[in-house]
Formats: sequence, C-alpha cells, structure tokens
Amino acid sequence: MTTTAKIAWTGISKRFGAQVVLEGLELAVAPGRSLALLGRSGQGKSVTLKLALGLMKPDAGQVLLDGVDVTRQSEAERRASFRGIGMLFQGGALFDSLPVWENVAFRLINADGVGRAEARDRAVEALALVKLAPEVADRYPSELSGGMQKRAGLARAIVGTPSLLFFDEPTTGLDPITAGAINELIRDRVTSLGCTAVSITHDMASARTIADELAMLDNGRIVWRGRADELDHADHPLVRAFVTGQSME
Amino acid sequence: MGLFSTNPVAALGRATLEGVGAIGRVGLFAARGIAAAISPPWYPRQIIAQFASVGFLSLPVVGLTAWFTGAALALNIYSGGDRFNAETVLPQIVALGITRELGPVLAALMLAGRVASAMASEIGAMRATEQIDAMVTLSTDPRRYLIAPRLIAATISLPLLTLITDIIGVAGGMQVSNYLIDLSPGIYIANTMDFLTAWDVESGLIKSAVFGFIIGLMGCYHGDSAKGGARGVGRATTSAMVSAAVLILAADYLLTSVFALK
Amino acid sequence: MRASWAETIMGFAVLAFAALMLTYALGVSGLKHSSGTYEVSARFGEAGGIQPGAKITVSGVKVGSVSDVTIDPKTYLAVMHLSLSKDVKLPSDSTAKITSDGLLGGAHIALMPGGAEDDLKPGGEINNTQGAVDLFGLIGQFIRPQSGSPAAASSADSAAKAPAAAPAPAAPKAAADLPEM
Ligand SMILES: Nc1ncnc2c1ncn2[C@@H]1O[C@H](COP(=O)(O)OP(=O)(O)OP(=O)(O)O)[C@@H](O)[C@H]1O
Ligand SMILES: [Mg+2]
Repeated sequence: MTTTAKIAWTGISKRFGAQVVLEGLELAVAPGRSLALLGRSGQGKSVTLKLALGLMKPDAGQVLLDGVDVTRQSEAERRASFRGIGMLFQGGALFDSLPVWENVAFRLINADGVGRAEARDRAVEALALVKLAPEVADRYPSELSGGMQKRAGLARAIVGTPSLLFFDEPTTGLDPITAGAINELIRDRVTSLGCTAVSITHDMASARTIADELAMLDNGRIVWRGRADELDHADHPLVRAFVTGQSME
Repeated sequence: MGLFSTNPVAALGRATLEGVGAIGRVGLFAARGIAAAISPPWYPRQIIAQFASVGFLSLPVVGLTAWFTGAALALNIYSGGDRFNAETVLPQIVALGITRELGPVLAALMLAGRVASAMASEIGAMRATEQIDAMVTLSTDPRRYLIAPRLIAATISLPLLTLITDIIGVAGGMQVSNYLIDLSPGIYIANTMDFLTAWDVESGLIKSAVFGFIIGLMGCYHGDSAKGGARGVGRATTSAMVSAAVLILAADYLLTSVFALK
Repeated sequence: MRASWAETIMGFAVLAFAALMLTYALGVSGLKHSSGTYEVSARFGEAGGIQPGAKITVSGVKVGSVSDVTIDPKTYLAVMHLSLSKDVKLPSDSTAKITSDGLLGGAHIALMPGGAEDDLKPGGEINNTQGAVDLFGLIGQFIRPQSGSPAAASSADSAAKAPAAAPAPAAPKAAADLPEM
C-alpha cells in the first residue's frame, strides 16, 4: 500500500485488568475499500472499532485516521472528525427517549444545524434504504423488533453520507432476504459513493458480498488476510473452520 | 484483601484516598458540567424537556408535601406550643418554619427521591447500552446534550418549586388553624404577611438553588459513572438519591449558619 | 419523556391553587392604596419595638404603617411618622398606643379614635400617646431590684421614666371614650 491508509491500527495493545484482548494489532484499510473483520466471539473485534473511535484508549500503539493519531486527540477534536464517520453499534445503541426518525437524524439536527423538517425527510429516506417503512419513523426504539432496531441504527450510521463507515454485525438477527438487502446497501456505499467500510460479521455469505478483503482476528492480532475469492483455498485452519462451519480439530 | 485488609491502618488510608479521589472526580465533573451549562451551544429542546420533567411534573408531589407539612407544623405549634403561649404567634412560626427551612429542604428531599434517582438511572442505562458512546460518534457532546440541561433545569426549578411550597405550606397551616382555633383565614394571612420579611423567603430560595444543583449533579454524576449493567444502574440510582439527600442536609446546615451569622 | 395527561392536569391544578392562594394573601395583606395615604406624627417617650414598616390599626384593623422613626433632638422623644389610609379620618383628639403582639411577636401602633368634631389634618400630630411598656425591663427590675448588669439597670430606668416623660398621659380618659373593641 503506497497511499496513506484511510484508517490504520499500528502496534495496538489493549487489556482489561489481567485479560489481554489485543496485542500488537496491525491493520490498515485503504480509501474506498471495504474490509470484513472476522473472528471468534470475544476476540476483541468490537473493541477494535471502539479504539478507532477513541471511545477506548489503547495501552500501546496508535490509530491513524487519515494519518492523524486519534488516541492523542482531545475529545472536541475527535467529535469534529466524527462528522465524516458513521458507526453502527453491535447493540444498536438507539436513544430510547427519541422516536426513530430523531435517532436517525440526530447528527443532522444536533451537530449540523439542519432544520427539523428537512432532517426528518432525510431520515425517512435513510429508513427506506434499510427497508423500514415511513410509519416506523414515529415509533420509539422500544417498540421495534431487534432486527428493526439494527436497521434503524444502520440508517443512523449512513445518513449524512460519511466517508468512513464502521458496522458492528450489520446483518445479525435479520432474515436472509433483509440481510441480502443490507449487504447490497453496504456494497453500494463503497462502490458508488466511494466510502471506506470496516464491517464485523460472523456471516460468511455477508462477508463475501460486502467486502473486498477479509481479516481474521485471533489472540489479539490479525492471523489471516485475503480477498473474498481467496477464502475457499485459504490454508489457515481457523479460516477453513469459518468457511466450512465445522469446529477445528 | 481490599478494605478487609488485615492492617486496619492501611485500610483507613485506602478508604481516605478513595474518598479524596471521589471528591476530586465529583468536583471535576461539576466544573465541566457548569462550564457546559453556561456557554453555548445549548440544546433548548433538552432544557425545556428537563424543566417539564424536573419542575412541572414535580408539582403534585411537592404541593402535597407542602400542604401536609404546613398543617402538621400548625398542629404541633398548637398542641406543643401552648406551654409558652406560642399559639398566639402560630401563623408566624408556620411561615418562618416553612419559608426558611422546611419548604426548601422538603422540596429538595422529594426531588432527590424523584429526580436525582431518575436522572441516574436514565443516564446510567444510556451508558450501559452505549447510547452515550453513540452520541459522541454523532458529533454531539453528551455534557452539553445530557448533563447541562439537567443541571440548569434542576438549579432553576427547585427555587420555583420552593416558592410554591411556601405558599401551599402556609395554606396548610391556615386551614388547620381555621378549624382548630377558629383563626379566620384573613387574620391568619394578615399575620403571616405582616410578619414575613423578604429575606425569609429569599434565603430559602438561595438555599434551594444550591439544593437543586446538588440534585442535578448527583443524578448525572452517578448515572455517568455507572458500571456493570443493570446492577450497576441500580446501584447508581440508590447512590444518587442517598448522596443527594445527605449533601442537601449538609449544605442546609452550612448555608443556614452562613445566613445566621451574616 | 412523555408525560401522561393526569400528571399534566395535576401540575396545572397545583399551580392554579398556589396562584389563588397568593392572590388571596396579597388581597388580604395589601393596604388598599387606591385612595392614597396621608402622614401624621406622634411623639412617644419609649418607642420599644416599633420600626419603620410596623402596622397601625384601628379597632384591630390595619389602616396604615409606620414610615419613619426619628428622635426629637430637644426633648429626646421618639417621633413616629405614621402613614395612614385616606379612607380613615380620625378625630383630632385620637390616642396612639404602642401595643405588643405577644411575647415573641413584634409591636404595632393601635389608634383609638377620640370624640372631637374636627379631624386630624395631614401633617398634623397625635397628642395623646401611650408609650411601650418595657416588659423585659419591668421583669428585670422585679427580679433584681438593686444590682444587676448596667444594661439591665439602665433599661429598667428608662422604662420607669418613660410614661412620665410622655407629653400627654391622658390614657384613662381616652380609654373611657373608646368605642367598644
Ligand atoms: N468495557 C470492557 N470492560 C472489560 N472488558 C471488556 C470491555 N469491553 C470488552 N471487554 C472484553 O474484551 C473482550 C473482547 O470484547 P469484544 O466486545 O471486542 O468481543 P467481540 O470480538 O466483539 O465479540 P462478539 O463477536 O461476541 O461481539 C471480551 O473478552 C470482553 O470481555
Ligand atoms: Mg462484538
């Protein structure tokens, strides 16, 4: 990679008390590329994304966003750089005191100063992209199913067309048809809008659709990295186990 | 180990350090909260919403508390105060007790139970479900969006509620005196109004502004530092309520002594 | 958070009740200033407990308040400036008396209308006055007739002299003229 990466984790270590989660993590994503981050449950995939957003501080190493180290930025600086970033949290993290449309339009209203009527229109458009009907806009998050909450969170991440997208398990809990539509949406963001995307997923079909490249996180570092078409003849046992869905011997 | 260390001196030292650390954290949290509250940008919708839930929706409970307190105070002065003819100045004692002490303190304690705990559980739940993290990624400062409106609303609402408490407390005393010693409402009120000075009411309002800030601060601080899921939120709720109540009573004593020595 | 209807109505009910009560209180206590006030003065040998703002009553009804308390540099008498409602016309030989509101309460001035034909004019003076009885002074004198602190002695002194120094000790006559209270 000769160009500066859009986002790069270099030498990242992170521990919680005695538990070491990441150790010397090296990962970079070039602008306009889509990366799927794979790994067994509890290996630190969500932590990796939160480190990139400065929501957690690493014990060692740097996270470079457009070449700038976010771990050294002040909170105000980080909030400013977030204008170009969309994040879907694993649990949705919708504001349960606000109706769905205000959740989706939150950044437009509260940070970009867009009027409420216009923000609402744009929120309804974004909801349509994730296959949520306009009636859903006025409901509260607690009145949605798990999959609907996930999609509302996804709509919130893509509204305002940020150039860097993080998705923590975008299709978990969705039926195959809706999941397929979401995969297409993410793919489309990258190919037609030129966004950079990092998606965590356990769904191999999803990973093949949305990602140019895949990376396997295990024991605190990236153990395998390759293109989607290299998945089937990868010789790393963990990757093979992921592809075949059989436990490792 | 921990606090149950075999060395009591070490345990005492550790507890002291923890106490000092906690004071420092609360102080820093308060300073940042005030800074966010007094400088733009503000979120007017959030501020109005907090005024509605902290101030307006507290009216019924505060009104009832005030009524019963005024009535009970009048009864006590009547039945206990006849030992030194205190019933001749019953309206005055009720007015003084309500405006200077009971109004501000009881309204504040009711709000510590109703509002500080609700704030802690709401913010704590938002922490636990990553809503606060999400807010940061949406380029919005939670200190301005969540904390500042609550501090502003609590600090301004409580004096207003206390004013209501003063009025309704006197009404409670008036009603009791009316059927108890046949003191006509007109005379009761005339006595009260002649006797009360502006400072009696003002000192109560100054106190209640401080109490309001304490309520907002404890609610937000404990909510924001909640750890460990639903259990943590439950703990935060209790701590917010208890610490707010204790701090209110301590601040009441401090402020009253400052006013008395003035 | 969305509030329920019941909560909203309850909130308004409490506000309305407080507003009613406040209006009532202000109505009861407020001097009906509609027709304005006029000032008269009265001299007392002992002003004990009266401060500017103290109320003035006739037959127990508030008719005005004390606007100022000064001292007459020649006679050393306390001069009360009384601000009375214009609705209340008092005979020129009316009596002013300092009355305590009870042991713990403050003091006020009670006016007892006289029987003269002509009324007190604005700027006029009430000549019949009865000063405050220094209760604590009297008690102190009674408990410690001889010695005691200088302060107690001097206050007892002034209490004893006060009624004599009052310019018009016509209390019994005035009291006899009193309409029933
Ligand atoms: N705030 C935290 N405090 C303590 N430990 C944490 C915290 N967040 C994560 N961990 C620990 O870090 C490890 C990695 O967590 P993470 O959420 O990144 O897993 P994950 O790879 O996203 O798993 P999954 O696929 O199940 O979501 C876990 O073992 C978890 O216990
Ligand atoms: Mg995860």
